[in-house]
Amino acid sequence: MKGSAYTIGFAAVLGSACALLLTAAASFTKPYKEANQKAEEAKNILLALKVPLPDNASSSQVVEVREKNVQEKTRGELTTYEYSPPEAGGKVLATAMRFAGPGLWGPVKGFLALEPDMKTIRGMTIYEQEETPGLGGEIVAPWFRDQFVGKSIVDSAGVPGIIISMRGEPAANKVDGISGATMTCDKVQAMLNEAIKSIVEEKQ
Amino acid sequence: MADNQMVCATCQPKGLCGGKGLVTFKEGAWANNPLAIQVLGICSALAVTNRLENSLVMGAALIFVCVGSNLIVSILRKHTPHRIRMVAEVAIIATFVILFDQFLRAFYWDMSKQLGPYVGLIITNCIVMGRAEAFALQNPPIVSMVDGAANGFGYAVVLAIIGFFRELLGAGEILGHAVPGFSSWYTPNQLMILAPGAFFALGIVIGIFNMIKGPDPEGNK
Repeated sequence: MKGSAYTIGFAAVLGSACALLLTAAASFTKPYKEANQKAEEAKNILLALKVPLPDNASSSQVVEVREKNVQEKTRGELTTYEYSPPEAGGKVLATAMRFAGPGLWGPVKGFLALEPDMKTIRGMTIYEQEETPGLGGEIVAPWFRDQFVGKSIVDSAGVPGIIISMRGEPAANKVDGISGATMTCDKVQAMLNEAIKSIVEEKQ
Repeated sequence: MADNQMVCATCQPKGLCGGKGLVTFKEGAWANNPLAIQVLGICSALAVTNRLENSLVMGAALIFVCVGSNLIVSILRKHTPHRIRMVAEVAIIATFVILFDQFLRAFYWDMSKQLGPYVGLIITNCIVMGRAEAFALQNPPIVSMVDGAANGFGYAVVLAIIGFFRELLGAGEILGHAVPGFSSWYTPNQLMILAPGAFFALGIVIGIFNMIKGPDPEGNK
């Protein structure tokens, strides 16, 4: 058995070596990761707003399309992203806003886009999530996302809110949940409703 | 290291796992397959196998981590103080796992999104630590790398088999593409994508492996 000093020394050297290696790897990959994240965000704004995007667009193309077509506006405390392409001459074709909140395993962040009537959903996308792949992770799947298109953010009585559930009658403000991912769906519903509340308040 | 606790089941009487090169490889990948025979590391095997692509990347990750960590643990085996050997192993394993995770995040962003937390969870995969403890601590670097590759490969193959059938039956596709002559009439069974489908598929694979391998020569159940 070697002495305690040796043990501590060994641990210190090994720990530092591992830390150095990881720091090097992290700083080497940083620009790539940041570019990926930026493109991912831009792609999701465009997807929610239904801005046409060329197939297999590269990261830089996506960012370019976003900068050309989408304007950032601040209304009170709410930041919105307005789709007004140069050829439309200042007309706003859709408005998107961010929503975010805790998911089951980690933060969930996305965009909710509304038609100019500010009541009908144009698109919903999620660009950051760490939910269970195959279950909660399905919130990013096209079938789930596309359900939101055309839905209303108010129910038949005019009360703002959207419902994500497998149960109950179909309604103008209800989409199907994901079987096996009830917790994730409940959390996404809560964060969407928070966003809806803020935009309804802002409108008044 | 005679007081080593984790010696694998089949080679315990003989002392060391297999012999050199090919023998070690066959032992790790087939006779002592970490998933199908030892039933280790099934958590990730159940979680990521709903798509073949995910299974393949996860298998590649495990091969990389097993080879890398076995190599380093083996090189350091004569210098590692016995008392902190497990902490040292975990530090080495974690380093390799994070390296792979960073690589995916930088260059395979979509895949990294798909796998979510499971790449990071390789750190706690008992196959990796099991091989470091049971093999790399007693054997020279090259043969330890072979052992790591063999176990990683054994894991990857079983994952690919399960991923293939789960995607085929659960989504009616292979690697995200429709299968000619199959996808047109097949109605995807969502059960195969959900957790129970993973249990069924893994159970059947373990059963088939054991049927082919035959009864244990030493009479162990």
